[in-house]
Amino acid sequence: MKIIIDKKEIIAENNKTILDIARENDIYIPSLCNHSKLSPYGACRLCIVEIKGRKGYFPSCSIFPEEGMNIKTDSPKLKRLRRNILELILLEHPNACLICGEKENCDEYKSTIRKVSEVTGCVLCPSNGTCELQEVVNALNLKSIRFPSLYRDSEIRKNDPFFDRNYNLCILCGRCVRVCHEIRGVSVLSFVYRGSKTTIGTVLDWNLHELGCQFCGACVDVCPTGALTEKSKKYEQSPDRKERTICGICSMGCELEVEIRNGRILSCYPRKDGPVNEGQACVRGRFALKEIVCHPKRIHYPLIRKKKKLEEVSWDEAIDFIAEKLKTYKGSQVACILSSQVSCEDSYVFQKFANNVLKTKNIGTIAANPDLERFSQKSDCELMSNFRIRDISKAKVIFLIDSNVSVSNPIIWIEILKAVSNGAKLVVIDSLRWPYSRQATICLQIKPGTESYLFALIAKLLLGEEQEENFPNTEYFNFYREFLSKIQMSEALEAIGIEEKEAKKTAEILNEDGLKYFIFGSGFTQYSWGISNLTSLWNLSLQTQARVIPLTFESNLKGVLQTSRPFSAMKKDFAEIYKIISDGKIKALYSNGPIPLYSKKSIEFIVVQDSFMNENLMVADAVLPASTFLETEGTFVNVEGRIQKFNKVIDPLGESRPDWWIVAQLGKRMRGKGFDYKKPSEIMAEIKRKIPEFKNVSYNQLKKGIEIFINHKETGEKREEKLTPLKLPPLLMDINEEYPFILLFEYNSDIYRGFVLNREIKGMKLIRNSRWIQINTEDAKKLELTDGESIVVESELRRFKGYVRISEVVPSGIVLASFLSNEEKDFSAAHMMFFSGLKTLPIKIKREC
Amino acid sequence: MDIILKRYKTERKELIHILHEVQKEYGYIPVESVSAISKYLRISESEIFGILTFYKAFTLEPRGKHHITICMGTACHIRGAPKILEEVQRQLGIDAGETTPDRMFSLETVNCLGCCAIGPVAVIDGNYYSNITTKKINSIIKEYKKIE
Ligand code: SF4
Ligand code: SF4
Ligand code: SF4
Ligand code: SF4
Ligand code: FES
Ligand code: FES
Repeated sequence: MKIIIDKKEIIAENNKTILDIARENDIYIPSLCNHSKLSPYGACRLCIVEIKGRKGYFPSCSIFPEEGMNIKTDSPKLKRLRRNILELILLEHPNACLICGEKENCDEYKSTIRKVSEVTGCVLCPSNGTCELQEVVNALNLKSIRFPSLYRDSEIRKNDPFFDRNYNLCILCGRCVRVCHEIRGVSVLSFVYRGSKTTIGTVLDWNLHELGCQFCGACVDVCPTGALTEKSKKYEQSPDRKERTICGICSMGCELEVEIRNGRILSCYPRKDGPVNEGQACVRGRFALKEIVCHPKRIHYPLIRKKKKLEEVSWDEAIDFIAEKLKTYKGSQVACILSSQVSCEDSYVFQKFANNVLKTKNIGTIAANPDLERFSQKSDCELMSNFRIRDISKAKVIFLIDSNVSVSNPIIWIEILKAVSNGAKLVVIDSLRWPYSRQATICLQIKPGTESYLFALIAKLLLGEEQEENFPNTEYFNFYREFLSKIQMSEALEAIGIEEKEAKKTAEILNEDGLKYFIFGSGFTQYSWGISNLTSLWNLSLQTQARVIPLTFESNLKGVLQTSRPFSAMKKDFAEIYKIISDGKIKALYSNGPIPLYSKKSIEFIVVQDSFMNENLMVADAVLPASTFLETEGTFVNVEGRIQKFNKVIDPLGESRPDWWIVAQLGKRMRGKGFDYKKPSEIMAEIKRKIPEFKNVSYNQLKKGIEIFINHKETGEKREEKLTPLKLPPLLMDINEEYPFILLFEYNSDIYRGFVLNREIKGMKLIRNSRWIQINTEDAKKLELTDGESIVVESELRRFKGYVRISEVVPSGIVLASFLSNEEKDFSAAHMMFFSGLKTLPIKIKREC
Repeated sequence: MDIILKRYKTERKELIHILHEVQKEYGYIPVESVSAISKYLRISESEIFGILTFYKAFTLEPRGKHHITICMGTACHIRGAPKILEEVQRQLGIDAGETTPDRMFSLETVNCLGCCAIGPVAVIDGNYYSNITTKKINSIIKEYKKIE
């Protein structure tokens, strides 16, 4: 439709607000409470406009165009009104600097005095220069304020990690409240009290970390003032440059903007135009990353073990030492562990080295979903499949299974939430109840390990003859039908632990038309019954034509798996590597990720290539300092198969070097061919030649923002091969009087290579300590346990320690620990799980004495 | 608490009704009930807190045995209600919205009780006192103190 803004004719879309349309056409309307990603709020009234033929003034952020609308965005009257409004807003805001005649001189001479506990003016405010309120004051050319100032004297909230809240600077625009509610689905911030006492707050002013805040930083990023500011930024000067790159911690691949001064990182922001994250990130990329990179645990120099002690040496000496040693082992005596958080280039060179030089087939990657690969190969269905994160928001039905998605895959959660606010039905299936399940249409809290029973039951409820065509062939369909006919409703319900009406409702939802997704997390595949789960889900997806999305965790698992294609080496998962090592055949281990420590056994020589000091180094004979992804360049492949280029943002710390460089040196020293790389682009050129999936990749194209995906066969394509017959696993609740609890574990997704974020970074520890053992409120009461207490978890054969976390996530009778492959033995739940063959174990809890 | 909750559907729109019932039942909204409602209705605790602090009908603290309401509406205001409020605050040593430590008195202000003609107006335990002065309110409160 056509509308007129300031005498200019404009073609307008009817789902955009007048304010947005004006912005797109470079017409400036002052605004404060509006934010392009949030619902219109209409609180500040700065964006008022006049509409011809209508009386009064209208907030342009909350009205939509109508055919022929004639709008005036500026007039003496509007100017006056806006200034009045702004004066009122500034009444309770430190305003002296804003209208001070000396401002320019002041900015020049006092550019660094921000280190104050109370902000009394812009010159002392961390937001000085980036503040939207300042911008509006300038735009409206406000020179004086007629009313006396009011000082709110609100105490600065400093008890939370990562950012402070200073409500003396708050203009009550409500952006933080809306972003937390609408985009992140957490809703820990709210308007509280009323009238002149109105403020932003929480229940009785409790700390954010006590109320489930995830410290995603979204509220900080939308705040137009200095009310919400990153703690560590308060003491910093302004950046001298800004660089863009991709976050390499998790499989989302958020695009970040990194602010740097004198070669040091000041802050990392999610970029609004990031193709995946669109202005969002999570605590790891937004706040922790900066701490990770220059953490005191960073390794700066190569180390080799001389007389029992690790000593600093030159690169030359280290490479010589390792080359000499490795030469003495046969391929079958060597195992390699490859981190799934290194770049495609790093991974390719590493595997080339392992395959061509070390000649080993024992290469493992660390991933949360080991069964997935095996299943994909066996059944010939590409579960590591095609999907686009953005398409999730178009779904009508979403099944979210065994996943702490809002923590492990934050951007996926944001898309799911979009779908839900567009009316999609969300079915959460999990034996645990994560905080996000508040948003679910229906929440099935099933008994552990009964997923396949549930899917079989739903399949039975929905089965119809017409579905035959969804299956590869008639034989398959008949087989499936017969299998389902044996399922007894009442028995199954009893086993799963849900009611009949819940099952029926779920089936009903799944029967609805529209795009359907089954999204599952690590909890679905990590136990011994993972394959049964996958089979039953895959069958149900065929039957109902739903798409399956397996969530991956590490930033480049997909890239690492893809770059292994040219090499014959077997892909092993952690459990397998653990087993090979335990069997005693391995004499030398080369890892650029975590090592299962408790299985050192017969190993004589261990090389660790990592960026951080950790438990691994206790056993290492040589340590090679690798740079982090902020100190080099390369590519990552995210969860949806999107190839993204990350850039060098700062120089490598100390003597650390990129992974590809280190391995190439070793390769050359051991007389391997084809290790003469000078830069990562040369490696990519080779990958392109060798691996068809990468044939379109070019650094230049990626830099320009061209989207390149690694594609698989279409999902939902009919497969010829027959799936493993659906078999239900035995039920697992074999607790007894002595061991009355069941132990479940959660894959710890807060890791970067050998660094455990939620163990080393104070703020992360406060919100999700990797050594927490989560216990239901009732159970804790019975055992008289209090939060933070040291306890020991004991199975018949093993034990590990941790700290009590009383939580609503676990139901009564279940205890949840974090799964971390390189945790110290004393604290390692992983150790117990590996030992038990990844089954759930009956355990008991004791106070540590 | 569970008994109250069970009477309502698990829908967002029930929030206000539930809060009213809790207020009636306990005389205030205990913080624990906020958590319970949050779980039942699946609304965040902060959101509930925001709503309950928005409406004057809800209080977070138990009211005193004797509840004093002083009208601060325009008419009463002009006729000297602020003075009276000050006096009561001085007498009881609490601000509007608070309760004395011995839980005897709680104080609250409202905007117009609809009987402007007899203002300034104070209501104590449902009894209306009209045309009050500082002196008068003083002696009324003393009376209540004496009873105890
Ligand atoms: S919030 Fe903005 S206007 Fe207020 S003191 Fe800080 S920089 Fe100045
Ligand atoms: S950090 Fe994220 S979760 Fe926490 S209050 Fe802000 S928006 Fe909400
Ligand atoms: S804290 Fe910031 S975003 Fe939130 S209401 Fe205040 S000014 Fe707005
Ligand atoms: S850890 Fe993942 S979600 Fe968080 S900022 Fe990095 S890529 Fe984004
Ligand atoms: S921006 Fe429109 S009312 Fe605030
Ligand atoms: S102003 Fe007090 S009763 Fe109306």
